[in-house]
Amino acid sequence: MTAPLFGPTRRVFELALGEMLWARRTAFMALAAGAPILIAVMTRLALVNGSAVLTVNGSRIGTQAIFETAVSLLYLRFIVPALGAFYGTSLIADEVEDKTITYLFTRPIARGAIVLGKYLAYLLCVVAIVLPSLALVFLIMVPFANMGPLFGKVLTDLGVIALGLAAYGAVFLWAGVSFRRPLVGGLVFVFGWEQLALVLPGYLRYLTIAHYLQAATSSVTSVILITIAAVVLAMRTIERREYVLEQ
Amino acid sequence: MIVATEHLSKWYGHVSGLNDVTVSLPAGITGLLGPNGAGKSTFMKVVTGQLRPSTGSVRVFGEPIWGNPSQYRRLGFCPEQDAFYEHMTGLEWVEALALLHGMDHGSASAAARRALDAVDLLDVAGRKIGAYSKGMRQRVKLAQAIVHDPELLILDEPLSGMDPIMRRRTIRLIKDRARAGTSVIVSSHILHEIEAMTANILLMHNGRVVAEGNVHQIRGLIDAHPHRVSIRAEQPRALAQQLLAGGDDVSSVRFDGDAVIVETPRPDSFYARLTEIAASGDAGAVDEVTSPDDNLQAVFSYLVKP
Repeated sequence: MTAPLFGPTRRVFELALGEMLWARRTAFMALAAGAPILIAVMTRLALVNGSAVLTVNGSRIGTQAIFETAVSLLYLRFIVPALGAFYGTSLIADEVEDKTITYLFTRPIARGAIVLGKYLAYLLCVVAIVLPSLALVFLIMVPFANMGPLFGKVLTDLGVIALGLAAYGAVFLWAGVSFRRPLVGGLVFVFGWEQLALVLPGYLRYLTIAHYLQAATSSVTSVILITIAAVVLAMRTIERREYVLEQ
Repeated sequence: MIVATEHLSKWYGHVSGLNDVTVSLPAGITGLLGPNGAGKSTFMKVVTGQLRPSTGSVRVFGEPIWGNPSQYRRLGFCPEQDAFYEHMTGLEWVEALALLHGMDHGSASAAARRALDAVDLLDVAGRKIGAYSKGMRQRVKLAQAIVHDPELLILDEPLSGMDPIMRRRTIRLIKDRARAGTSVIVSSHILHEIEAMTANILLMHNGRVVAEGNVHQIRGLIDAHPHRVSIRAEQPRALAQQLLAGGDDVSSVRFDGDAVIVETPRPDSFYARLTEIAASGDAGAVDEVTSPDDNLQAVFSYLVKP
């Protein structure tokens, strides 16, 4: 009774990629990716004009430091988890809510292929938008002369952000497959639990994704394992779960 | 048998959707009749493997359907809900779903065009589904169900929202498919729609199958119930007297203007005697004989009456 995975996953991926452009959350993603660029342009202009000077403990903060802050606070702590929550939870939940899931469930493909195809479409979509956004912010904020030494660091940042998008998306994909209205729970996890657990002493931080993405403690293996485990769990859950569509 | 269920029940929490349904559906067209909430859609969702039976079993082509996606190569489903990817054109949507059957792009495109042509939508295939009328949306749903030429078509209220002409064409399409060898399970709460497609029906009420078989067998079941006949006659009282005097095939008589309303437990005997009385002229001319029981609607109403 096992159905092939690769071919159907590719077909669902193609369908989902087109769907993603029309998804209700696309506007949010465009905003999330575009806002840092706008902020970067304004900041750079203000600093270049001398109309604004940023200082911490009396020391002037350069654009390079501002860029690093943007990566850790704006991207890793806000944009990446928010996109993961908004998009990941919607991948299957929207189809269930809109009752279009019926058309996918009555095709000769494993339900797991639906989950995997949609997840890969999500990943391609967000990576293709967020990474160029970060690269643009880097080009805008960091003076040309300082770029060389920072290039390796930026590549690492891009990798960590891609991993973050993969991990958050996978965890919230599983939530979307498992619960009827998962977005609220997802936002509570991101902006409640993760923020709290990271500042509390002890081991609670290990129960967050953010912990593994932080520069000091980043663990590529852990993030990849979280991602794979969440996607596999989502694929198994959807195979077993029945979705009662409200009439 | 195409579909066989044994003691099939489906519960939504404490609410029963299907209750101990044991049926065997043969090849050909089977009509599923019942009022809203009778369990028709639940039955179809279980038979199409979207819902798992709470108890009992369901087999399609002799195999379980839940968790067995390969079965969908042989099965096409047209759901009741009005749900679509609204921004896609009819052609894009049907083609995308055909691709999920493993067809290559060329075959999927050709199959989608054939299916849209079959439901008379080819001329608007390039229009977005969001701009389709209710009837067109019903038909594009039908197109996605037939795009892969399934052996079994399961259609949940497929005629809902269609105009009379399109309704007739769709009925013809379904019958043509059946003649070509496709088995069809079609639901409706409008009896004459089903009657136009098949004599083989399954009557459902409150999650139970209250009768199954062909229309004649179901009419036979009805013979156990009083059968009401309205007769407009020149001399209604004389006619009533003759009817009551003639035998045990009349259980009650009442008058409604110039009509006699008779209830009979044995319609065949009653109609034969009425013909004799009318022919003799002893009770004057008999102008009109009507019986709501001649309509399948009345059969259904009788059977589901609590």
